[in-house]
Amino acid sequence: MSALERAIAQRHPVHGFSRESPLHGLDRRSIGFVEVLAQSVSAIAPAAAATTMPLLVASIAGSATVFSIATAGLLALLIAFTVNQFTRRMAATGSLYTFVAKGFGTDRAGTTATLATSVGMLIGYSFIAMFALAGGTYYVSIVLARVIPDLIGSPLATGGIMVVLASIVLLVLARGIRLSSRVTLMVETLSVAVLLILIVALLIQIGPHTDWSAVTRQSFAGSTGSFSGIAVGAVLALTAYVGFESSAALGVEVRRPFRNIPRALVWTVLGSLLFYLLAATAQVMGFEVLGADFSQSTSPVNELAEGFGLGSFALVLDIGIAASFLACTIASTTALARVLFSLSRDGILPRRLGSTHPKLHTPLFAIGVSLLAVTVVPLAFVLAGAGIWNTMQLLLVVAAAGYITAYIMVCFAAPAFLNRIGELSIRPLLTALVAGLSLTIAFVTYLAVEVAGERALAVALYVAVMSLGTAVLLLRVRKNPRLALTIGNYDEPTVIDVLGGTTQAKQASD
Amino acid sequence: MTESTPPAVPEATRKRGAVDGLRARQPAAVHSALGVLESVAQHGAGVSAREICEALDLPRATTYRLLNLLVQDEYLVRTPDLRGFALGSKLEQFGRAVMPTAPPRAAREIINELRGSIRAGVHLVRYDATHIVLSDIDPDFPLSHPERISRELDCSAMGRLLLTELGHDGHPSWAVVRPASSIHAITEHVTRSGYAMQNGELQPGHGCIAVAIRDDHDVLVAGLAVSMPGVRVENPAKIVDSLREAAQGLAPLLS
Repeated sequence: MSALERAIAQRHPVHGFSRESPLHGLDRRSIGFVEVLAQSVSAIAPAAAATTMPLLVASIAGSATVFSIATAGLLALLIAFTVNQFTRRMAATGSLYTFVAKGFGTDRAGTTATLATSVGMLIGYSFIAMFALAGGTYYVSIVLARVIPDLIGSPLATGGIMVVLASIVLLVLARGIRLSSRVTLMVETLSVAVLLILIVALLIQIGPHTDWSAVTRQSFAGSTGSFSGIAVGAVLALTAYVGFESSAALGVEVRRPFRNIPRALVWTVLGSLLFYLLAATAQVMGFEVLGADFSQSTSPVNELAEGFGLGSFALVLDIGIAASFLACTIASTTALARVLFSLSRDGILPRRLGSTHPKLHTPLFAIGVSLLAVTVVPLAFVLAGAGIWNTMQLLLVVAAAGYITAYIMVCFAAPAFLNRIGELSIRPLLTALVAGLSLTIAFVTYLAVEVAGERALAVALYVAVMSLGTAVLLLRVRKNPRLALTIGNYDEPTVIDVLGGTTQAKQASD
Repeated sequence: MTESTPPAVPEATRKRGAVDGLRARQPAAVHSALGVLESVAQHGAGVSAREICEALDLPRATTYRLLNLLVQDEYLVRTPDLRGFALGSKLEQFGRAVMPTAPPRAAREIINELRGSIRAGVHLVRYDATHIVLSDIDPDFPLSHPERISRELDCSAMGRLLLTELGHDGHPSWAVVRPASSIHAITEHVTRSGYAMQNGELQPGHGCIAVAIRDDHDVLVAGLAVSMPGVRVENPAKIVDSLREAAQGLAPLLS
């Protein structure tokens, strides 16, 4: 009789497992791979990003646009591989925050890094949700303006649309993760399909008129240019990938998390990398063929569609982009609420945020708080007459800075984590270090450039929220030092998951 | 990973290329995976990746990969400190292939009497922790999907009794296919009505009703079930009464 056979037949009681996961109350193991993939994809909002990000990058990286987007994609892939060192080993709702906690441990420096990561994630998810809500509002008002021309520019009407959209998001989110993930999946698939059709149509039209080597020639000419241009371009391009890690916040709710979440992360990055390259190439080359200046455009894809006689596409496209933004709001708020939920279960935030609805199994209170914040901030900007496109740029920069802070932390936490559990090997170590170091260099360069530029306000806002948030959380831990030991709760296996654990549970109930 | 000996696998398997990420061309990987399971069983719960690696003399990266795959498939679980490993309760599936123990003669007589009085399949199952053990299956009305009944607790009336007993969060996640919210509705129905049922879940047009058999400590030890056409499941009152009566007679014999 082998040891395995004996173990199965005799089922000796195994101790050290608890009866209930620290993250109980959520709709456990209720969604599959496709829904998790939808969460990651929607959080990056590929259709919306593909139409806005290349322009943003082009205004700084100039001719190196396509090169910057590819660089950012590769960087995102390295980050995904590194995050997957955690997602293959533990299921959590706190996303990178929980992972960093497991990597850096409970001493003073470790706790500070962990709390900074949590603030980075909160900034990332909330500001990207605000950005997406503002973006959705912007595109809905463009669509509505075809019927009611006076609508554009009226702060009150814009505010009204925003509130309506936020209510739709609340309704979808409250009904549970199964519904919300399906809605985002459907919406995002449609919007990507619309854009893909347009891009292919454009490329077919451009094809005969152009010398295709121009894209690569341009890129490498650009890359020999300024280093800071490439670094800033890559960070801006990275904003089109941030959010890919958000399905890691669904660790409790997904079936077979150790398999589905790592896959969702890598597939999302690879898929969007290809999609962005296609979209950016079409835009850069399209403007070259038209003889117009890409970086001076305000709505490049629409202008291209008009320029190549595909103007009838514009309405469908606008609806698609609005939908993509809405899906992004849903997905980002989903992740935001779960990070709040985690912080609450860890004792850092008030208890209420960690409660779940008994029937819907959603962290309803955390969702409500998240959505309120996500609506109020852009609403205030718009009602103050800040102009929605300017507001969006500001929000995006703050969000990106938050995400990248958390990414840098997780890259350095991964080797520490693997070492801690005795599973460090050379490949993950190199991947994490290369990703972490290049991110840090690019990020510092980026902040330096932005501080001198017109988006200095965004950098100031990021620094303020980041340091204030971390300080407040640190203070809470300082007041109650025991909290440091409980940070980083994850979905631990319980007695019922362990061979022999079941016997013990039975005896305990007798 | 291995030399290029052509694997002796059916054409269909080879075409699919990979079964859950483990390629059919890597028979040695299966061997190593079983070695890892055996090693965890030998060392006991809490053994670390490094210890397994040393015991089996495998390359470190390979061991980590195998361990992560086995955890992915829930044959192994990580201990709460994430450092060690323990055997997963999913492995019990392998142990359950043992012969079902036939109930005592007095119990068989009660069951046969019930079989004579209603024109439907009467089955007795026993419960073992989180598992169903088929004990006495009606030879005239064999179960349509015995393997699904023992694998998915939410698909059969017998399984639903056990789900209700285990309570919310009390069942292993691999033992059900439904989301928690629907499980909740099922167990609520069982608690309210005092019996479990399913209709058309395993076979279209057919359903099943089951009542619990409990020991002196009120612990669920067995289930008595009737499988029959769906229309009869819709009007269960009489059947449930006869089941309850038989279950009362069976309780002292089975606990």
